[in-house]
Order: sequence, then structure tokens, then C-alpha cells
Amino acid sequence: MIVASGLTKTYGSKTAVDGISFTVEPGRVTGFLGPNGAGKSTTMRMVLGLDRPTAGSVTVNGRRYADSPAPLREVGALLEAKAVHPGRSARNHLRWLAATNGIPVGRVDEVLDLVGLTEVARQRVGKFSLGMGQRLGIAVALLGDPRVVVLDEPVNGLDPEGIRWVRNLARRLAAEGRTVFVSSHLMSEMALTADHLVVIGRGRVLADCSMSDFIAEHAASYVLVRSPQRGEVADVLRRHGLDVAVHEDDELRVQGLDAPSIGELVGKNGLYLHELTLVRSSLEDAFMTLTADSVEYHAATPAGIAR
Amino acid sequence: MTMTPISRTVELDPNRNVPGIRRPGFSDTLRAEWIKFWTVRSTQWSVATLFVMGAGLTVLVCWAAAGELASETADEAAAAFVTWGLMLAQIAAVVLGAMVVTSEYGTGMIRATLAATPSRGAVLAAKALVLTTTLFVVGTATAFAGYFGGNPFLENEGVGVALSDDGVLRAMVGSGLYMAGLGLFAAAVGLLVRHTAAALSIVLGLVFVVGNMVFLLPGAWGEWIGKLMPGNAGSAVSSAASFNPMLLDPWVGYAVFIGEVAVVLLAGYLVLRSRDA
Repeated sequence: MIVASGLTKTYGSKTAVDGISFTVEPGRVTGFLGPNGAGKSTTMRMVLGLDRPTAGSVTVNGRRYADSPAPLREVGALLEAKAVHPGRSARNHLRWLAATNGIPVGRVDEVLDLVGLTEVARQRVGKFSLGMGQRLGIAVALLGDPRVVVLDEPVNGLDPEGIRWVRNLARRLAAEGRTVFVSSHLMSEMALTADHLVVIGRGRVLADCSMSDFIAEHAASYVLVRSPQRGEVADVLRRHGLDVAVHEDDELRVQGLDAPSIGELVGKNGLYLHELTLVRSSLEDAFMTLTADSVEYHAATPAGIAR
Repeated sequence: MTMTPISRTVELDPNRNVPGIRRPGFSDTLRAEWIKFWTVRSTQWSVATLFVMGAGLTVLVCWAAAGELASETADEAAAAFVTWGLMLAQIAAVVLGAMVVTSEYGTGMIRATLAATPSRGAVLAAKALVLTTTLFVVGTATAFAGYFGGNPFLENEGVGVALSDDGVLRAMVGSGLYMAGLGLFAAAVGLLVRHTAAALSIVLGLVFVVGNMVFLLPGAWGEWIGKLMPGNAGSAVSSAASFNPMLLDPWVGYAVFIGEVAVVLLAGYLVLRSRDA
């Protein structure tokens, strides 16, 4: 379990993390979502005791990370993939890490096998592709068979097969009862991986809820209804307590009932329908809307371009 | 009826002793740094360069200078030549010392290091121990190799130097000591600047360029600054007879040098401890 309370990090006058509090529970995948520059990596570095919080605190399994007697056996972390010397082989990189926490060398070969790097274990890491580097980073995270796994942007640079592998791995680790904390700037990826979401923007927590709550709350859906008898249809639906909004032309946006039931209701009243469509705004849109104010650098949208 | 909520999790003392998990200690940190040290090519290259340059150049110079040293016009002590190559080999010691620290910052690996071993003092102590032990052994071995390779040429001309001669054995061990100190100095500067090129420029500049130029300063204070510069103070211990008459006595100079290294190392440690990784 990871508990952050009032965690704050400032660099000079710039506040990277602004008093955030959240709890990462064991047994589920918690997604840590936010646009680039939102403070995800800074937060994760503070979890691992690499950066010192300006204020507030963060504990792992009830104590500061640095106070853990054998940190790699308690918390496994994938940091940026490049936290490796390019001249060292993958196996030697894992060997020295294992030595720091008294982990037997047998475990090194085990995790190499687990991430599928056995064949290139003796090659210099500098020759690795981005995806292989990520796999090595995940091997590092799993080295100590830790109860808490922290993965910073694990799918960066992975091909679709690799992405699915990471997703399944995260789910399996959580199913084993481990605490899994995964950061990403991709909502679509988190929707498939995470059970719980902590969304941050500009160093503040914007949402902290279960994935299903997030979908229910933020991914708005409505039924689009077109009819030559727009007024009558709207009256019928309103009489049944539905929320009906009239949009340009002959479009009605109805919320509160699913499309088949709306169709039946209209039919029973002897009215015609020209269109009946369920419209669901994507989670990506919901995420964009939520974080719109907190994105650090917007791409300019040139005027006059049709969207 | 009210139900008493049952806590689903059992509270465990986070500091409990987990069976089968040994609490890692300094020996584990030391072993990790030892593996880390020897599994990059830059270490192997630096050590090989130190030995080949240090011993090889000594032999070469003894061979080339033996005749001159035996002649009546000789104005240098033959004993000064038996560790001649170490003057250049020290560059390799500086490179090795700087790289031990700066390569971690250059690659971002320092984060993996400090996440695995949160005690930054232990990491630094282990690094320093691995580095200085290696440089002491290699430096001393290099000095002996140079002596045994070069001295026969001097002996042929009748100006041979015996190990029992004044200061010769001290110069052998002193070469190891000076290499170790110099490497540690470069590592300490590396902690302060966190950048390979910057650390090398500062240390090599200080030892080879500034160290020689300050002797050009006028008056007694110029002379003293010259004596106290790290390269000048520390190097006397590594030669049986010095080319430079201005230097401090070997052991006094080495003590001054070690004091200077200690100050920079302490500053480096404070920076390592307080700055974000």
C-alpha cells in the first residue's frame, strides 16, 4: 500500500506537485494518469525516496521507502528506461542490483526469462531497442519479488504485443494481491488496465475513483433521436421523465433511457423515427476535458481549419 | 442490532522480521559496487591504460636515458626515473575515478543505485573503497613492473637503483597511494559537478596545468601555493627522487593532499545527501 498525504514538490517558484493525497491499495491496479508535465514522475521519484518532498509525506507499507530494510524486496520500480549504463549487459545490470539487496543470482535468470530477455542477456544494453529496454526495466522491478510494484510509463516504446503483455502482467500482479501503481498519459491504455484511477494535472489530484465510476461520471452518453415529429416526440419523452435537449435542426439528445426502450416508447405513441443512435463520448475525450486546463503546453490550433 | 465492522486486513509491524529475508548490509552494497565497477569496459580500459602507460613508459624512458644518466653531464638522479611512467598514467586514474561517479549521472543509473540502496553514505563509501583499493593495487603493481622492467637498463650503465635504496620502496607503494588519492579526488569532483567532461577538465586542469603554472607566481606565497596544489603535494610520495626541488617532503605532501581530497569528498557527500537524485 502506498499512502501520499499533502505531498508537495516545488522547484524554485515552480510547483510540480501541489499537495496531493491518495492511497494505492493492494490487490488492484491503480492507474496514475495525467498529461505530460503533470507531476507523475516527480511523484513516483518521491515515493522511491529519490526526491525529497518540499512538504507532506509518502509511505510504502507504512513507512518511508528509505527506512525499508531491503527496499527491492518490498518495492519494485520501473523508472525511466534509460536508468541503465549502455555498456553493461542486461544480466550484469540485474546482477549488481540483486547484490545490493542480497537477492540470489538465480533470481536474475528467473526474471530475465520472465520478461523474455534470456537470449540477449549477455548483450550490451546500449544495443537494445526501446521495447527491450522497457522489458529490462520491468525485470528490475520484479527482481525482488516485491509486494508493491511501481511502473512509470511502462508501455512507452512497446509494440502492441508488448503493450498487451504489460497489461496482463499488471493485472496478474494485482490478482496475486500486490499493490500495482502504473503511470501513463494514455487514457485508452489505462481504461484497459486499471481498476482504480488517480488523475492529476498541474500537480493536483483531479479525480480519485474507481475506473467504472470514472466512466459513468465522465464518459457522457446520450441517445440521438431524429424525427419529422420532433415536438411530439420530445413531449412524449419528457412526460416519461427523460432529459431531452433540442439541438440544431431536428436533433434531440435524450438521456435517462437506453435506445431500444426509447424506440419502443416512441412507437407506442404512433410517432415516426428517422434516426436512433447511442452516442458515447470516449474516455479519451473525458480525460481531455478533465485535464484541459492543466495541460502545460497546448498545440496551437490554427484558425480556419475545419475540425 | 449493530454490526461491528471487521477489519479485512491484518496490521503488521512494518519493521517485522520476514523469514528468509536477510537485511542487506554494507557488504552487499560493496559487492554490488564491485560488480558494477568491473562490468563496464571503461574500467578495464582505464586499468589497462594505467598499467601499460605507467610500466611501459618507465621501461622505455629508462632504456632511452640510461646512457645519459651514466655520463658525467647527468644532472638528474637515476632514482627519479624508475617511476617516470606514473606521471602520465595518473591521467587514467583520474578518468577512472571521475567515471565511477559521473557515468551514473550521465546514464540516469544513479536513480537505480539509490533506489536499491537508500543510504547514500553507504553507496559513496562502497564506491570509494572499490575505487581506492583497485587503484592502490594497480598503481603499486605498475610501479613495481616499471621498476623491474626499467632498472636492468640502468644497471647495465652502472646507475642501477636498489629497492633498498632510500625512498625506492616508498615510491613503489607511494605510487599506489597517489593513484588511489587522485582517483578519489576525481570521484569527489564528479559528485559536485555530475558531468564527466567537466570533472575531467577540472581535475586534469588543476593537476597538470594550474599545478605547474602557479610556480611562476612571484615570491614566497607563489612558491607555497605551488607546494600545496593537490597534484604537487600528492605526487612527491610516488617518486624516489623528485624532478622538482620545490615540492614538500613526500609524506608531508601526501598528508596535505589527502586532507584536500577529504575536504572535496565531504563536500561531495553533502551534495549527494541533500540533492535530489
